[in-house]
Amino acid sequence: MKELKNISVQIDDEVYETHSTIAFDKKKKWICPDDRIIKSIIPGTIIDVVVNEGQKVDEGDIILIIEAMKMNNRIAFTHSGVVDKVFVSTGDIVARGQDLISLK
Amino acid sequence: MNKNEKIEALSKKRQEVMLGGGEKAIQKQKDSGKLTARERIDMLLDPDSFNEYDLFVQHEAKDFGMMEKVLNGDGVIIGTGTIDQRPVCVFAQDFTVVGGSLGYMHAKKITKIQDVAMRMKVPCIGINDSGGARIQEGVSALAGYGEIFYRNTQASGVIPQISVILGPCAGGAVYSPALTDYVFVVDKVSKMFITGPEVIKTVLGEEISQEDLGGARVHSEITGNAHFFAHDEKECFQQIRDLLAVIPHNNKEGIIKKETKKPVHNIDINSVVPVDPTKPYDVRDVIKAITDKSEFVEVMEKFAQNIVIGFGRIDGKTVGFVANQPYYLAGVLDVDCSDKAARFIRYCDSFNIPIVTLVDLPGYLPGVDQEHSGVIRHGAKLLYSYSEATVPKITVILRKAYGGGYIAMSSRHLNADFVYAWPTAEIAVMGPQGAANIIFRKDIMNAENPEEMRKQKVEEYKHRFANPYVAAAKGYVDSVIEPAETRDMLVHALMICENKDEIKTDKKHGIPPF
Repeated sequence: MKELKNISVQIDDEVYETHSTIAFDKKKKWICPDDRIIKSIIPGTIIDVVVNEGQKVDEGDIILIIEAMKMNNRIAFTHSGVVDKVFVSTGDIVARGQDLISLK
Repeated sequence: MNKNEKIEALSKKRQEVMLGGGEKAIQKQKDSGKLTARERIDMLLDPDSFNEYDLFVQHEAKDFGMMEKVLNGDGVIIGTGTIDQRPVCVFAQDFTVVGGSLGYMHAKKITKIQDVAMRMKVPCIGINDSGGARIQEGVSALAGYGEIFYRNTQASGVIPQISVILGPCAGGAVYSPALTDYVFVVDKVSKMFITGPEVIKTVLGEEISQEDLGGARVHSEITGNAHFFAHDEKECFQQIRDLLAVIPHNNKEGIIKKETKKPVHNIDINSVVPVDPTKPYDVRDVIKAITDKSEFVEVMEKFAQNIVIGFGRIDGKTVGFVANQPYYLAGVLDVDCSDKAARFIRYCDSFNIPIVTLVDLPGYLPGVDQEHSGVIRHGAKLLYSYSEATVPKITVILRKAYGGGYIAMSSRHLNADFVYAWPTAEIAVMGPQGAANIIFRKDIMNAENPEEMRKQKVEEYKHRFANPYVAAAKGYVDSVIEPAETRDMLVHALMICENKDEIKTDKKHGIPPF
């Protein structure tokens, strides 16, 4: 048997000696999402950034347009606030989960 | 033409078509490290047992200059043959003919052999090596895929369906393998994905190789789309033959009894499992100490290794094993292993294969990723499959059986036929540490020396509850047995279960938590 990493797993205060698996090793640690940062929900190309830094915005306002899967997807603010930083500009290719804009 | 000339013309015509895409294309196939479709069929089946059909089928496409094109066999070979003298149906896509692309007549040939397999109730083996849909044929190619998928679904649970991925299998083409029972992949040869690296690069700007995206290792270790992994094609065909030797060839055949052979495994079943429930061991050693000749055909060996599934024989008769594997992730239940075991249980139930469950687990894997991946829904599949299965279900609790894990692993409460426990079994609501910390929280908090008190209470709990006798006192365990008695008990239980006839609730079908 291929020796994999020795690990311990804790369940109900009991610590078990065991070995890792390939899929388990690839697992990403969960990070609590920050409401103030708007991330791309789809991968694609930014074709227009509608807002500027310092601008006051309301929930539902359009932030930018991402072209993905042959569609122009309008990305809107999920809550109101003032735009702090814009991390992307027109023409950028963004990955899913990439930071787009932060609010103050 | 006289008769002899006509016979000669046939022979010549055959030879021409059997050359597939021609010598150059064949050389290219070999240079890329692959066998040709015909070599594959020969290697898979018993020598000289193959009979081919639809050799002279031609496509009927008209657009994009297709009318002038002659595609030998339309890029796929179909026929019947034998494996270990038992009949099987086979199709093999021929990559040398326009990349094995699937046009309508190509698909018609495949569905013809699928129909033969269903009528004759014999296994259907599909060798996939195709660039995908033949774009020139447009929607007709899509129709072809759809008709294959429909037959895959109709045949599910009636005959074993095996997909062998020996080249690219991309886009819609992946769904026929995904609907079949067993997917065989070969290192560096198999490539499966919905959207390939080129599309991903164009659309998303992410660069990845075919191998890293959907190679044999990826599907064996990470996605769980493949069930058997081989290093080369020869090993792959042997694996198929080994599997077909141990499973029934249709859902009415039942189990064919072979000569009984004692286990040969030199591991003493008494010494495999450490008494300390926190120590790991390889549960396959227990399986091999039980099965005839210690043979075990493991399914999905590299995926969700915290549960082991596969086939072995006991007293000459095939059984399906489901066993927690303390060697990996302490043998916990999680999303992937629940999926893996649940589908296997349904397979066994469809083909009348008794299920032997070996239990040793601390419970479910804690974690955000598990909860967010829907461990509730996936874990429920295991409960559903065990509860639904009407084949003989025999459970042996080797060591830990705590909490929800105890219930899920073919407990008496899910209608197991016989439940045995080893003296090392600990059947309890949870592990002693956790249980003592909750039950005696106040005693521990108020004690002069809380740590000392905690230890004492854990010991107390262990003594009273970490054993098989509490469950045995309630009849949840039928018998507490010595490890060395396990095989004999299973032989007896399987014999008693031989004519098991459980009446199913009258319904069209249930709604499992897919």
